[in-house]
Amino acid sequence: MVEMVFVDATWEQEIVLGKDLLRYFEKEKVKSVGLFASVQFLKLEKVREQLQQSEIRVHETKAKRTHLKTQILGCDAYHDSFEEDIIATSDAVLYIGDGLFHPKALLLAQTGREIKPVVIWDPVSEKMKIITQADIEKQLNKKKANLKKFLAADVVGVMVTVKPGQQYMKNALFLKQVLEKKGKKVYLFLGDTFDYRLFENYPFVQVWVNTACPRIGTDDITEMQRPLINIREAYDAEKTLEEMGK
Amino acid sequence: MFDLEIATVLQRIKEKQAKRVLIQLPDGLKPRAQEVADLIEKETGAEVMIWFGSCFGACDLPIGLNSVGIDLMVQWGHNIYHKTVKEW
Repeated sequence: MVEMVFVDATWEQEIVLGKDLLRYFEKEKVKSVGLFASVQFLKLEKVREQLQQSEIRVHETKAKRTHLKTQILGCDAYHDSFEEDIIATSDAVLYIGDGLFHPKALLLAQTGREIKPVVIWDPVSEKMKIITQADIEKQLNKKKANLKKFLAADVVGVMVTVKPGQQYMKNALFLKQVLEKKGKKVYLFLGDTFDYRLFENYPFVQVWVNTACPRIGTDDITEMQRPLINIREAYDAEKTLEEMGK
Repeated sequence: MFDLEIATVLQRIKEKQAKRVLIQLPDGLKPRAQEVADLIEKETGAEVMIWFGSCFGACDLPIGLNSVGIDLMVQWGHNIYHKTVKEW
């Protein structure tokens, strides 16, 4: 195994929330926030100070896969991805960082509940943005449709990656047993990149199950012609559909 | 600007006496690959290879690096990832 070094690439400037964001919290009578950031933007001393001065309690937790508290990864897209469910116990959700991949995880993590908006402060552009359930509606609808197709499917393809960080071979083998007991025929596929255009090579597979990055089964599905679900939902798709309100 | 911690990286390369280093940058930092590669080559003499493909996270590491003689790999923009099996 080759030795690896990780460099956080920390944002060098002090992160200061904009007045428009603080005014928004005041207008919405926000008394507590669940605070999250991507690894580059964890120097949040000033942000905490600003929120406390605005009499807003700051809730922070550690996601189970991250190395640091408050940090979020794109795969933290389930309500139990965190040590404490601060999204449920806070009035608002605040994300510090650029891009939409990470804050969308905070919307997805609320699937099956009343989805609170995620307020984003981007330290690079120094702009505020709010994303809501409407921003993941297409994904949620596709996920529900795919779950229904999975329940009806007789032939399933389970995709396993050789990338060590995303490889869940044991889980795939266990799922195969579970699905075979339910009368489904399961084929295991191995690859290193999930290019969904290659699904067309295997027309006998009715529904695909992803065991690699969870965001393949939440985001990428909107671009796919063929149905795909994540392994987590494949154990009990009926229950997931019920939780999502069918 | 994002701090690429070049001094730390150079030190690790020298400590390891790495002869061939792979650098992997997320999309937003890929345009800085030239700056990073030039600096590493100039300061350490190591040969640098730039990972062409994706860099979605610490979970997204290239495989088969031994076969091309990589001694050390450096990934920017992410930190240690704790893979959980139970929670998938």
